[in-house]
Amino acid sequence: MSDPADPADRAPEDYPRRVLFVAGAGRSGTSTMAGLMQIMGLHVPQPEVVADESNPKGFGEPRWVVDHHDRLLKESVVQVSDARPGAWFEAGRIAAREPERIATAAWLDGHFDVNRELVVKDPRLSWFLSLWRVAAIRCGATPVFVTMLRPPAEVVGSKQKYYTNRLGSAHLAASWLNMMLHTERATRESVGGALDGGARVFVRYADLLDDWTRVTMAVGERLDLQHVMHAKSEQIRDGHRFVDPSLRRMTQSLADLELPPRLHALTEETWAELNKLAEPHGDTAEVHATLDQIREAYVDLYAESEAISRSSVVAAEQQTKRGSKGVPPTPAGPAPASGADRIPHGVRAAIPPGLRRGLRRVAGRSRVSTSSTDERK
Amino acid sequence: MTAHAGQSGIANLEGHTEFDITWPWVKGRLHPGTTAVLRVKDEAPSLPFVLPPLLRACDFVLLVDNGSTDGTPEVAAETAELAGLAHKLTLAAYPFPVARAGAEHRSVHELSVHSLSYFYNWCFSQVTTRYSWKWDGDMVLTAEGEVSIADLGWQVGDVQSIIRVPRHGLYLDGDAHGYLDLGLRNAEEWGFPIGPDFVYTKAFEWEIRTTPERCRSVGLPHGLCVELKYLDGDEFAHWTDPSSFATSWRNKRKRREWEVFNALKAPREGRVVLPGVHEIHAPEGVHIVDHVTRTWLPRAPRPLQVG
Repeated sequence: MSDPADPADRAPEDYPRRVLFVAGAGRSGTSTMAGLMQIMGLHVPQPEVVADESNPKGFGEPRWVVDHHDRLLKESVVQVSDARPGAWFEAGRIAAREPERIATAAWLDGHFDVNRELVVKDPRLSWFLSLWRVAAIRCGATPVFVTMLRPPAEVVGSKQKYYTNRLGSAHLAASWLNMMLHTERATRESVGGALDGGARVFVRYADLLDDWTRVTMAVGERLDLQHVMHAKSEQIRDGHRFVDPSLRRMTQSLADLELPPRLHALTEETWAELNKLAEPHGDTAEVHATLDQIREAYVDLYAESEAISRSSVVAAEQQTKRGSKGVPPTPAGPAPASGADRIPHGVRAAIPPGLRRGLRRVAGRSRVSTSSTDERK
Repeated sequence: MTAHAGQSGIANLEGHTEFDITWPWVKGRLHPGTTAVLRVKDEAPSLPFVLPPLLRACDFVLLVDNGSTDGTPEVAAETAELAGLAHKLTLAAYPFPVARAGAEHRSVHELSVHSLSYFYNWCFSQVTTRYSWKWDGDMVLTAEGEVSIADLGWQVGDVQSIIRVPRHGLYLDGDAHGYLDLGLRNAEEWGFPIGPDFVYTKAFEWEIRTTPERCRSVGLPHGLCVELKYLDGDEFAHWTDPSSFATSWRNKRKRREWEVFNALKAPREGRVVLPGVHEIHAPEGVHIVDHVTRTWLPRAPRPLQVG
């Protein structure tokens, strides 16, 4: 007879509330991680985004979360792949609003009725981790984080292929840097002694595809995910059916991207440091300090680039203003004819003068006369 | 910037050159991150609640003691050590008596070492990060407050924005019983960038931090911070006298505190719990401050009914 205190005897409805947030840049294996967690028994709140050609095995993304994030990004004027360091404050500002905190916590709370362990994933998630952390606290749940790591050259290559992104590799690499450096910072509070009891892990996509059983169990143990710890044989078989090592289709190097030298160096250093976090006991203060220095160097690089390219921004602003006013960008010419001017002169002359004045008043076009007689009236 | 501030700092009227102020941005490049600055006097009982969440939420905490006689600096050091965060805490001392808020403050020149604004400027001139939180020695973050302050602290980066944080009085009647005042809507500006646009100068009752025109400002929701009030203590010692906060709109928070404090200070049978004040009992074995900040407030229905 087993010990009644054996955690394996605990029913899933008695598991502590826990929500796993799968963060990181898009195209980094986040769907594979979320899908595996779903197979292990964690719950992806329904309905989900349906699979498509870019992700044939499914996204593991709750539809509500995607729509919610889309709206919040629009309100904060932040793009999913935004390279601006200042964009984090814009997103954070929106996340601090009480109505957004209420909506997010209410949505999350409802899904704990279905399952005590949830998994939330969306490529936009990193922008709003602070909002979700608050939502978890309000629900009495522990937020835990897994950040997927994939070589930046592969992420950029994958985005260019699947999202027909014509922004260029430098922009994509910069947005990868911005995303990863700040995602690491955003989840750092969950390292040791966090009040919310949270924890985090970093997982290399290549490791997950190479041996998902080793990686998934390690994640389960580190983040105390009961469904993973007590997964049944059939769930493990399903995991093997789900993971397809050929998913990692992109194999290009950083050099292939031909990035500006400083951006190349920062990307390379960041990738090296993030890799250390994926090692056992690698989440150390020394690595955090190095990542802080890299982040500051990236902020400086971005500020310099912004200053240099100010003329492009001014030109774009002027074009936008012109477009919003509906003024066509054509050289100056004769003013467009009014409706009255399109009426043949003979017809206009046949209208009695009093009626003509009345029509002008109705049209809001009282004539500025050059006649001194009219002025005296 | 205050009319009295120099390009590189301020010299005090009394000639205490060792306490002249050199602006931190003149000393060298400021580091990314946040520093919470606490000016304290006899806050030893509160610091074990105040410091741990603050140390977790900020990169650094600077605690400036102003003549405590209750072992405040020692308690601060022990608390940080126990939390495993002693490396984030810096202790400093400011030896001059500082004018109390109200009439006494008004009578002191802002370049005097006894001026509240000079004291604040001296404290914040010790900061080496780009962002700062003005904090009091009796303000305790809730669980949600801690993560909110921590996240905004790194998100703000170089953005020149003020952050406003509401707080609620928590009147303590022993270790397991207290009263939380949600009867007043009040949010003060606590988060400020460090820079020449954001220095302290003199206002009518107390100090005020300067801001550039059209400065951005972000407000946090209610329920993220409590201010500890001890019903067996003297909570108004830092004011000249009650008449100093008797009339102006600016002092409505202080008047509310006076009203709530005196209603609750009476012996238990004669106590009046004013509208908006919640009487709270902690579960056995849990301190009332921990219960309110980690459970009661974080789990209270939102939007929090305040005011």
